[in-house]
Amino acid sequence: MSTQDKVKINKLPTGVPGLDEIVGGGLPEFSFNIVAGAPGSGKTTLAHQFVFANASAERPALYFTVLGESAIKMLRYQQQYTFFDPAKLPDSIRFINLSQVVLEKDLGAVLDEITKEVEKANPAVVVVDSFRTMVRKPESDMDLQSFIQRLALFLASWQATTFLIGEYAEDELRDNPIFTVADGLLWLRQTAERNSIVRKLQVIKLRGQDSVPGLHTFRITDAGIQAFSRTFGLTARRRNPPSNRRLCFGIPELDKMLDGGVREGDSVLVAGSSGTGKSVLATQFIAEGIVHGEPGIVAVFEERPEAYAERATSLGLDLETPQKEGKLTILYLRPLDLSVDETMQSILDAVQKIGAKRLVIDSLAGFEMALSPGFRADFRESLYRMIFALTGIGVTILSTVEVDESFTEFPFSTYSISFLTDDIIRLRYVSIDGQLRKIMVVIKMRGGNHAKDIREYEITSKGVVILGKRLTEYQGLISGIPVHSG
Amino acid sequence: MTTLREMRDLAQRLMACEANASNTSESAELIILRVYEKLRKSLGEFAGSAAFRSLASRALAMARSEIPRLQAVQVAEDGALKGLGYGLGHGLSEFGPQIHFEEDRPGEQPIGDDGIAVIARLLGLLLIFLGEPITLRLLRNAWPGAAFDERSSDIGRKP
Repeated sequence: MSTQDKVKINKLPTGVPGLDEIVGGGLPEFSFNIVAGAPGSGKTTLAHQFVFANASAERPALYFTVLGESAIKMLRYQQQYTFFDPAKLPDSIRFINLSQVVLEKDLGAVLDEITKEVEKANPAVVVVDSFRTMVRKPESDMDLQSFIQRLALFLASWQATTFLIGEYAEDELRDNPIFTVADGLLWLRQTAERNSIVRKLQVIKLRGQDSVPGLHTFRITDAGIQAFSRTFGLTARRRNPPSNRRLCFGIPELDKMLDGGVREGDSVLVAGSSGTGKSVLATQFIAEGIVHGEPGIVAVFEERPEAYAERATSLGLDLETPQKEGKLTILYLRPLDLSVDETMQSILDAVQKIGAKRLVIDSLAGFEMALSPGFRADFRESLYRMIFALTGIGVTILSTVEVDESFTEFPFSTYSISFLTDDIIRLRYVSIDGQLRKIMVVIKMRGGNHAKDIREYEITSKGVVILGKRLTEYQGLISGIPVHSG
Repeated sequence: MTTLREMRDLAQRLMACEANASNTSESAELIILRVYEKLRKSLGEFAGSAAFRSLASRALAMARSEIPRLQAVQVAEDGALKGLGYGLGHGLSEFGPQIHFEEDRPGEQPIGDDGIAVIARLLGLLLIFLGEPITLRLLRNAWPGAAFDERSSDIGRKP
């Protein structure tokens, strides 16, 4: 069958930022969906967001409440969200309570009632919240599966996109015949990780859609649910072909060591212990980009943006003006309990907003500390996904990482993340002639012919300055305790 | 904050709507009951009859603190109001387009205030729980064509 012969399935916006990307562009029109999860996981809020995004006076939404949360209390709380538009009530969104029918009659009567209301209102969206509470009476003349089957058939024929909301525990997912009826099954989870709450959603099933597999973090704020796709919304973006363009630091000797600079679209790691000038180098990298018309983002975790800009001023670098001109954004991402994906989404949003070409993450240790403990396990994987996604669209990323100074080893990172970096610049202290001095070496440069020299440098009022020529008179420089051989 | 007086005003306007809608002259109790029944139907459909009954019982209890003789009035299992106007048939003015109730006078409530007190308290509860926009939308749905916006109501007006 050719593409034009296939029936076109319209995709409806979910009303949940980030969720459209996860479900493959929107929810299929006329689909019959189940939103499952434990109490408090955000099921009702998700359904409300969908309803408010899609209901109109011509094709309203019918929201059937059954037992459980009363409609009055539900609306009392739901109207606190910014997506809640009271002007849509009751013409575009009608709440109908079925608790009496459920209590006094059976599922057949509930189906009759829903049928009657749907035929009367011709709705585009139907929600039953919560359908699970309907099965209360063992003498019910219709079991839940049969009820759902008939309901699905009826509502699809009436061209309604449907949500059934149900409280389900994780172990009920397996072998539940009810889920086979649904076109879509969204599972919301809420788990405690030490002192933090981690919310994740999963599209377990969505017929006809290329949804993003896996668990996606979501957060509930006063704007409702916001979901963070594991692919950061970049699945549709094509990867740029590798570039041979070099991006300079503006430090002539270092740029020479890097064979002209780092390759555009590379991920660079600057590793060193405290005080070796990682942040200074990162600031020079971003400032040099702005000089060359390349907008930049600095994600800071260990100091406030004002302090960061002030420190740059002391190095003769102006970060204030480009911020005002929209060429630079300094993101402060310190609040605790951030999920790794939402932190990365903030970075991505900023990158896309100003069309950033250079991104500094200062530092990876601070980044990890800003995350809730439950997300730290995902840190490396998420970082990999973000770096892969951003470098793929041509953004050059410089991350700083603090390493414990050891005089027996020469580690690059405590995160074992060197696999996701193209280039590594290592800074370290050395003991020379009774002084603690600093040396720099380019450890790795993927696809480039970098210098092998070990160079001494200083941090001056002009930033990092590389001194003289390579240190040829010492042996064992990288041990930190070299021996004078000259 | 919305005052009881504003709620009484709103209740009176609902009664005026009902009185206007009726071609025949009816007693105040009947009009009050018709207003109450419309609220019961509208809220019952939206929130369920049990939820309506709970709100109505609370409204009645609060109204009783104002008018002790409402002890004789009860909210039935289905949410209907029973006993309103029992023994109070005389002295009630007939409602019409010129409907007017006396102002609040503590200890001296006119007899026709009984039903209004219950409805005013019920409307007050809706405002507390749902807020003004949703409450007014529910009322507009029950009384299509009636003006319940801020221009004709004290609800939501800054004092």
